[in-house]
Amino acid sequence: MTGAQQTRRAADERLRRAVRPEKPFNWFRLVVTVAVVAGFLLATSTVDAHWGRLPEAPAQLWNILGLMIGELALADLPDALASMWESVAIAWLGTMIAAVLSFPLAFLAARNIAGPGTVVVTRQLLNIPRAIPEIIFAVALIPIFGLGPLAGTVAIGLSSTGTIGKLSAEIIEGCERGPIEAADAAGASKPQRVRWAVIPQVMPEIVAFWLYRFEINIRASAVLGVVGAGGIGTMLQQSIEFRQWGQAGMALIVVIVVTIVIDAASGAIRRRIIRGPSS
Amino acid sequence: MIRFTHASVTYPGGVAALKDLSLDIAEGEFVVVVGLSGAGKSTLIRTVNGLVPLSGGSVEVGSRTVGDLNRSRLRALRADVGMIFQHYNLVNRTTVLNNVLMGRLNRVPGWRSMLGWWGRDEVERAMRALEVVEIVEKAYVRAANLSGGQQQRVGIARALAQEPTVLLADEPVASLDPPTSHTVMRYLHRANRELGITTLVNLHFLDLARQYADRIVGLRAGAVVFDGPASAVDEKVFERIYGRSLTADDVLEAEASL
Amino acid sequence: MSSRQPGLTRPRRPRPSPFAAAGLVGLAAVTVLAGADWEYGIGFSLVEIWDGLTRANAPMRGLADIDLGTLLGSRARSGFLETLQMAVVGTVTGATAALPLALLNSRLGAPNRAGYVAVKLFNNIIRAVPDLLWALLFVAAVGVGVLPGILALFFFSLGVVTKLTSDTIDGIDHGPVEAARAGGASHPQMLRYAVLPQVLPAYTAFSMYCFELNLRASAVLGFVGAGGIGAVIDFYRGQGQWDRVWGVVAGFLVVVIIVERISALVRRRLL
Repeated sequence: MTGAQQTRRAADERLRRAVRPEKPFNWFRLVVTVAVVAGFLLATSTVDAHWGRLPEAPAQLWNILGLMIGELALADLPDALASMWESVAIAWLGTMIAAVLSFPLAFLAARNIAGPGTVVVTRQLLNIPRAIPEIIFAVALIPIFGLGPLAGTVAIGLSSTGTIGKLSAEIIEGCERGPIEAADAAGASKPQRVRWAVIPQVMPEIVAFWLYRFEINIRASAVLGVVGAGGIGTMLQQSIEFRQWGQAGMALIVVIVVTIVIDAASGAIRRRIIRGPSS
Repeated sequence: MIRFTHASVTYPGGVAALKDLSLDIAEGEFVVVVGLSGAGKSTLIRTVNGLVPLSGGSVEVGSRTVGDLNRSRLRALRADVGMIFQHYNLVNRTTVLNNVLMGRLNRVPGWRSMLGWWGRDEVERAMRALEVVEIVEKAYVRAANLSGGQQQRVGIARALAQEPTVLLADEPVASLDPPTSHTVMRYLHRANRELGITTLVNLHFLDLARQYADRIVGLRAGAVVFDGPASAVDEKVFERIYGRSLTADDVLEAEASL
Repeated sequence: MSSRQPGLTRPRRPRPSPFAAAGLVGLAAVTVLAGADWEYGIGFSLVEIWDGLTRANAPMRGLADIDLGTLLGSRARSGFLETLQMAVVGTVTGATAALPLALLNSRLGAPNRAGYVAVKLFNNIIRAVPDLLWALLFVAAVGVGVLPGILALFFFSLGVVTKLTSDTIDGIDHGPVEAARAGGASHPQMLRYAVLPQVLPAYTAFSMYCFELNLRASAVLGFVGAGGIGAVIDFYRGQGQWDRVWGVVAGFLVVVIIVERISALVRRRLL
């Protein structure tokens, strides 16, 4: 063991003289951290939020939740379910509108299919509805279609077209070149190449994304009623405004349960679509 | 130093990985365990630091019986037993130094490690461990930017930073090419010879085992079928361990010439 | 090509699986039920949509002579500032709280099975409530203003960032986890050193994505009295000044697209 100790001491001596690398300084991280912290402090201190009301918020919310559960009445259930069904219908039909509108646009926005000019124009066209929330579409459509679910459906359809179109275009750009080349080599025309080499590759992912967007649209359509565009939002808004907590609680529970159930079902279908049929 | 007494492991589902195994490893020994994949080599090594609990029998490390330790004592034991993995098990997204400092986690107060406040002394120990494997210049490079051989050297440094009395290595060269395999084996050998750390290594390649081991243990279907000095391993012993004769797949140099 | 060889049977075209067939029939039925003009349908009609969009109407006329000068007015300026402030405060607080919650919401980080199930349920409920609904609840709880808007964005961010981050945690490399355990790390130490470094870049990217979502959301919170640029849009809409509504919306569009560009740049650098 003394031999080993000697070598160890010699090694220690060697190490003491060794050069250590210097810790590099991460400017990027510093800048991001400072920007976030400073932005947060600035926003918190300047915003006109009446922070004094914050401490009472948990108690108030707790109080409201208590009233919602305490005054819960089964009699409100049929109404809540019917309104929620309307929300689901709005989300479903809106998603279908968006799917139909976005599908051709997605090919025009894909760099490996369309020319550069077409791509730039189509992408900008898709960017606009993507940035505008559904509710704003809805308020603009209500004077046209009147109060009711049709305005909400069209609002959801138009605003989802942007997101679905952009993501579908990205999926199309990610497809393999090989089959396109093979179709080309077999003498296929451009539409034929798209139909037989591109669409079979990208369809599962695009359909899965339609479903995913449907899940998101349910959340959107559940609140469209706040501005009168149909669905359970109207019931929620009115019962909360007029402090009918039992009804509000029932509507809230229905929204949460239906959303979670549809999320789970749609998620399972999406995974099955991506995986493909089991042989 | 390490003593297995009638140790057995049965996994849920009824697979018996170790069967009534008894083995004694002395302090400072360099022991290589060889055997087919599925023979129980990985299980054997993981019972030493309690990553796999025994279903029967006992394992002792020094004066401690692994199965009898409570959680915090088990963690203290693990801190004294360094481990090296086939796939290196580094956090790719962080620096080499941070990976090596993981070896010091049990030696610093919990709250300080949570905040990432490492003392000068801890950093120094990590740097020294990196120097043993001659890769200290990469201390602030992300682990992802290193080659496989370099990553495994960082893995060794992480284990050495624990200042362990026992070193476990689970197929440390299985993902590396032959020259790099020798480099890694030499570092393990050096840790054993210069620092006096008892070392237990799983290997697939017999020639590597013969070259570096003091002692070779042959494992087959969860039981010891050979135990002796490296020089005593010949064709017959090999057949006893592997149940077939030697092929090119079983030696590193043959594979290199392919 | 040669003629058909005798004795060889061709495989039949497989029928769609019962699962797929039933699914398609079901979806078609839902579509018809949802779209038809009956008590529980919304009366979907392409003719009506076409008529509506081609008929002269106030919003469209407003869009034609959009008033971008509105953006310079003090009402719009303070609305935009408020929206930014709300989005920043809501995102930073929500995303910060989401990190520990995301660890608990993953199989690796949860201390035990019961805790895992409880946190998962809690998070699913938080996520099922839309942003505007949170705002409605908090307006009822603390009154109108910016505060309910910030609280709404806090909970909305909490749900989104927790979900995305915990999904990432469930997919990380388990090697470092084993290494940390083998080195004697405690459970919190393992999370801090083997899990956190692996998910931190993704978590930051999700937080930035959430900031974009919040910015968009904060444009509508004003419709229920929770402050921000939405209140300004709602104000002009109430007065029927569609030219001004579109002016504000156009400005909002520009802000969102700029923020998106910056965020995309930073995210690319992160991942």
